[in-house]
Amino acid sequence: MVHVEIKAEELFSIGPLIVTNSMVGAVLASVVLLLIARWFTRRSGIVPSRGQSAIELPIEFLAGVVRGTGGKRWRQFAPLILGIFLFVLTANWLSLLPGVGTIGFAEEVGGKQIIVPFVRAGAADLNFTLGLALISFVTFIAFGLRANGVRGYLKELLIAEPAYMTPLLTPIHLISELSRVISLSMRLFGNVFAGEVLLATMLALTTATVFILPLAFVIPGVFIGLELLFGLVQALVFALLTMTYITLAIAEHREHESADDHSGEAPETGTAPAHGAA
Amino acid sequence: MGLGGIGPGIGLGIGFSKAMEAIGRNPEASGTIFVPYILGLALTEAIGIYALVVSLIILFAS
Repeated sequence: MVHVEIKAEELFSIGPLIVTNSMVGAVLASVVLLLIARWFTRRSGIVPSRGQSAIELPIEFLAGVVRGTGGKRWRQFAPLILGIFLFVLTANWLSLLPGVGTIGFAEEVGGKQIIVPFVRAGAADLNFTLGLALISFVTFIAFGLRANGVRGYLKELLIAEPAYMTPLLTPIHLISELSRVISLSMRLFGNVFAGEVLLATMLALTTATVFILPLAFVIPGVFIGLELLFGLVQALVFALLTMTYITLAIAEHREHESADDHSGEAPETGTAPAHGAA
Repeated sequence: MGLGGIGPGIGLGIGFSKAMEAIGRNPEASGTIFVPYILGLALTEAIGIYALVVSLIILFAS
């Protein structure tokens, strides 16, 4: 049986702060991201080199998507979306490197020896994904408040359009707002954690056959390729859902004052080129 | 987990087939279809993930 720990294991504690191995993974991801960013912004040019265009390609793609669907305020939240995307992507892909989740110190729990790894995938801990989801939650509420004003936002949230439907619809509205946090965090956690469990299971299943067929080198490799894809898709999904929630929070505003708002918006969308999205 | 997999499986299949149909009818629109498609798949898939998380918690954390 594969040993799997749902919550991240403690490594050491600095005062009241307990450092878990998932935190090490997350910090490692951000350090790697910062180093890459520093390396490529220092030697960037107008005409990009090959490495620079490889780094810029996903950023340009996502910025094009944000510009296409984000409305006229896309510049205000595009850095957040891109940051979430790159951070989750780096954390997911770092967790596939050899040594992450496997190198650690041995510990005896209940008569069995288990390995407590030094580094664990950042998103394989609910605290990581819940933190990101809360950032996204606060951001889209803040954008909603700024676009509609406090009164407009509360009115949108608490009072339904035909007034007699209010007692029925208000709880649904509130629950749907709150469930976004749960679904955002659970989706990322579930996918990454299930990926870890899947890889461990595949390795454990195929190690037994290693003397007959070299399956242990092939099958986990296939699943690691699959996990690369999943890491990308989940990072994209987290970023795009955050963007969609922010856009929705802003767009509620447009329905109320439609006429003059649309006149200012028309040239903006007209000049936006179809940006790499195809 | 098995029951929880059935619903999202059907949903994902319908979503994917509709997206392919739409791309087949209008191949130039594949860029525009892609983003809402990924979002829809993510929302559908979330239900399967809930079942997975609950079953994993029952399996390992008890």
